[in-house]
Amino acid sequence: MLDDRSPIYRQIAERIKADVMSGVLKGDEKVMSTNQYAAYYRINPATAAKAFQQLVDEGVLYKKRGIGMFVSPDAQEKLRAKRRETFFTEVVDPMVAEAKAAGIPLRDIIRRIEELEDS
Amino acid sequence: MKFRILLANCLFALLVWAAFWVLVTLITVGLGLTGRLTQSAWEVAAQLPRWYALFFGVSLIHEYLPLYVAHGRTRRQFGVEGALTLILFAPFLAALLVISYQLESVLYGLAGWPHVLERAHMFTEPTQVPLVFTEYLIEALAWSTAGAFMGAAFYRFRGGGLLSIPVGVLLIAFAHSAMGVEPWGPFLLAWLRVLSQVVFDLPDSPLMPLLGTVGVLVVGLLLTWAIIRDMPLRNQAS
Amino acid sequence: MRIEVEDLVLRYGDVTALDGITLTLEEGKIHGLLGRNGSGKTSLLSVLAAFRKPTAGRVRIDGQPVFENGRVTSRISLIRDVGETVNIGTGEEALSYAEALRPNWDGEYARSLAELFKIDLKKSVKNMSKGQRSAMGIIVGLASRAPLTMFDEAYLGLDAPARQVFYDQVLADYLAHPRTIIMSTHLIDEVSGLFEEVVIIHKGRVLAHEEKDELLAKGTSVTGPAAAVDAFTAGMTVLGSRSLGPTKSVTVYGELDDARRRKAAESGLELGPVDLQDLFIHLTAEDGAAR
Repeated sequence: MLDDRSPIYRQIAERIKADVMSGVLKGDEKVMSTNQYAAYYRINPATAAKAFQQLVDEGVLYKKRGIGMFVSPDAQEKLRAKRRETFFTEVVDPMVAEAKAAGIPLRDIIRRIEELEDS
Repeated sequence: MKFRILLANCLFALLVWAAFWVLVTLITVGLGLTGRLTQSAWEVAAQLPRWYALFFGVSLIHEYLPLYVAHGRTRRQFGVEGALTLILFAPFLAALLVISYQLESVLYGLAGWPHVLERAHMFTEPTQVPLVFTEYLIEALAWSTAGAFMGAAFYRFRGGGLLSIPVGVLLIAFAHSAMGVEPWGPFLLAWLRVLSQVVFDLPDSPLMPLLGTVGVLVVGLLLTWAIIRDMPLRNQAS
Repeated sequence: MRIEVEDLVLRYGDVTALDGITLTLEEGKIHGLLGRNGSGKTSLLSVLAAFRKPTAGRVRIDGQPVFENGRVTSRISLIRDVGETVNIGTGEEALSYAEALRPNWDGEYARSLAELFKIDLKKSVKNMSKGQRSAMGIIVGLASRAPLTMFDEAYLGLDAPARQVFYDQVLADYLAHPRTIIMSTHLIDEVSGLFEEVVIIHKGRVLAHEEKDELLAKGTSVTGPAAAVDAFTAGMTVLGSRSLGPTKSVTVYGELDDARRRKAAESGLELGPVDLQDLFIHLTAEDGAAR
């Protein structure tokens, strides 16, 4: 179900973050419980809980005792800001490197980006 | 539920007995109609139930002990329930034989066949209910106790269990001597009879059967307990 | 239930099956017990379930001795391949004994499991296929709801879809009725997701006992040019290595801190995770390369 390039709990955390960033999960919205995540991904609930703990530490989620986990109100903005910081190093730089390896001129890439922007 | 094993085995024994009864009755009628019936058919047929008792004793250790231990009962708990089960199953078997003789006497009476016994028993007529019951009770107790003991020895020591056979045979022979009834017939080894005469020349007292039975039961069950009290469950199915 | 094992030794005649096991397993978790054939998995579980008396050493469950202690053993269930709990008459009869002997028995759940596994309970268990008998054991083990539930390679003979049913039911029933579960298995890839902790035993001793995610974090594959890989992994615990032309891939065991990770990136090396099965194979390798 999940690729095994990184620990499952990190993948779950990434998926929740992606949902928060894209607005699928909104501020103060309740997220599914660890047990629901465990049953869905067929993993131990302790592993799912690790993903949640990581997100709490990062300020993406907050815990309401006895009720569950909720999305922090400022989580979307925080994640977006962080993404902006790392976007160039994590997305653009590798892309450029790959383009070079494949012999694609940078001009072609820029043209493609402009096309996408226009459409 | 207490005595789950006893209940299951009584029910099963009842079914087996019903089938066996039909078979014996058919043979009886067949022999009777051709004029070859000279004795009680159940006197001969009653040699099978003792083997049934023996294998019931074996199954207590072979099947039910692992089942109970695997379901979280201790060997001690099972030992108590198993011993009570064994003691209570014997009168059930004996009662079935009493009923068999009673039904047989009705049949022989109606057909006019000679309802006679060929061998020495505690009873002299097949209709002497208390004595018939007592003889087969003692027999069932001795044979099932010996079965439990040998079953335990084979379960625990595998091939080494062979050594338990002479002891089991002694237990059975002693019980038969105490009754003053020779174990006989095609299913029983002739030497068992010799053994019980040679080894156990017991005084002829009316208390003897009682003492003999209690002795066999106590010794047999204690020997069995000695084997199973810390017996491991086998790692491989046999 | 909390399990404490100290210097546990079990011998079968001259054969030493357990050679000084010391282990504490916490309550309420799913523990995976891994080991090669003959490593002592069945022996260890059999001692924990009081199927066997240990030769030496101490076993405490919830602080109490186990062997011939009915108050503890009535709360323990071990399902083995031998099938002690099911080889008794028909499927129905086996369930009725479980019902009579198991304090927390859930008969309805047992029946729904029988349907999931497509078991005809009217059939004699001894006449069932290997897989069906395994399913019977799984049904009895799960529906017993024992506070300590153990499955010793309970999947033998089950096909892949039936095994998935088994794993899903273990997880679902554990979530609904939290308890301590120990599962021994050879099919590590299939079931490792369920484990919270993993115990690896080898030749009757504990080789590793850790939270699964932490154990996994210790295994890393280092891939890149052979010389760079060798330089990077010098002094580390190397579990195994493979080469493809100039490229070498080495499995190392031990925590890698951020500095080391950066150094790997600078040397053009690729770091990757190792799955539990690979880690297990490397750790229990016989050629002495491990540890």
